[in-house]
Amino acid sequence: MRTARAGRPALRLVAPLESEAPAPLVLFCSHCGTRPVPSALPTGSRVCGSCGLGLILESRADVAPDVGGAFLVLDRSLAVCAVSRAAEELLDTSEPDAVNRHVTDLLMPAGAEETGGESLSASVVWAARGDGGIRTAVVRPANTFGIRLTARIASCGPSPAALLVLD
Amino acid sequence: MRYLKTSEAAALLNVSPNTLRAWERRFGFPKPQRSPGKHRLFTHGEVAALRDALQEGLSISSAISRAREGLAADANSLVGALASYESERADTAIEAALALRSVERSVEEVLLPTLDEISRRYGVESAAWAFAAHWATDWLRRAIRLTPPPIRLVSIVIGDASRDELDRDAPYIRALELFCVRAGIKVLSLSARGVAGIGDAATVHRTNLVVVAGGHLDDDTVARWAYAIRLAVGAMPLAIYRRGAERPRVRPTGTTVLPSGAGDAQRTLLELLESDQVAAHPSAEYRSPPRFARGNR
Repeated sequence: MRTARAGRPALRLVAPLESEAPAPLVLFCSHCGTRPVPSALPTGSRVCGSCGLGLILESRADVAPDVGGAFLVLDRSLAVCAVSRAAEELLDTSEPDAVNRHVTDLLMPAGAEETGGESLSASVVWAARGDGGIRTAVVRPANTFGIRLTARIASCGPSPAALLVLD
Repeated sequence: MRYLKTSEAAALLNVSPNTLRAWERRFGFPKPQRSPGKHRLFTHGEVAALRDALQEGLSISSAISRAREGLAADANSLVGALASYESERADTAIEAALALRSVERSVEEVLLPTLDEISRRYGVESAAWAFAAHWATDWLRRAIRLTPPPIRLVSIVIGDASRDELDRDAPYIRALELFCVRAGIKVLSLSARGVAGIGDAATVHRTNLVVVAGGHLDDDTVARWAYAIRLAVGAMPLAIYRRGAERPRVRPTGTTVLPSGAGDAQRTLLELLESDQVAAHPSAEYRSPPRFARGNR
């Protein structure tokens, strides 16, 4: 039998939570994914010295794409801002054509348990706001069925945007 | 208008000249003009706009998109000024466009699209179109007058077959005239209605090529005008500009149909004028059998 005393809320001293070390940040090219050494970048330039077709962005090391990886950069209105070279091939598009288009023109949610695009959209908006952390979504190319890709979604910068890495 | 060489533009953007050329190939921006020696010349305004957009951009494509949007604002402000009948504000808008572009590109990318937009929104029977067409014609004529004297030894006669300055084709014809004059060609632009004395005019002008521009006048009127020139100076190359591709009676055999864009039309004309056929047959000596009358009936 539950006593009145046992049911009363009470304050207790607890051990402080172990603070999670923030993931280190790395630089990468928005087109080829090359990770430049910060000291090697020319002063005042954000253009990739390797391919010359991308700008240097920054994100958490545990979500940053590998060199030659397929990824997109999206803003909070879900518009495409950058498409990597590998993503161009994967999604059969080109960056100049894809920029400013809605993300669902290129990718659709494909998770069996997801009923709509809310999860993908919410994850992108959440990341583009600049919140930390990584979310995942299952997507497929908008014009292709039968392909499922896992997308890691996290924030990137310098101006807050969502980095969507296709694994 | 300030122009930058490739190395100067690359230095301003803090990239290599090869990168700048790669951007031109991939994105078509910044879009250089060519010097007489075929070297690239970038407008300072475009390069500066791109440099600013790159500061906060997430990719080269998105930065270029932003820079283009900024440049397109000139067209929007000109539409607004002309639609509200404010000629001074329209002058300011076109001056702003000229600060970022050459005269040719200001006309092609700002002035003519603005007129297209106004005619689309309000129709060519509207007061807004009347105001805009009058302002644009006046501006283009002023620009023609301010152009230095011709440097090439070639001249053309433009037979203006448009209705009047309210004709939708009229600004394009003035723009072609401006581009030709700025390319150093001697241009005589007359209405194709004026047949009497046109032969004398063409002779005095030492015409190398005839352009019939505009689609308002019927083919018979235009053919009479062209025939009068042929009688005076002999047959010569004929080009047709904005006569209307859908016209069932036009049979442009033996003539060159110019592209509808003023810049493309000017480049085609320059190629025609630089071809051996035209260069070898200035009007005074060129008296081979008639050619264009057959194709223009």
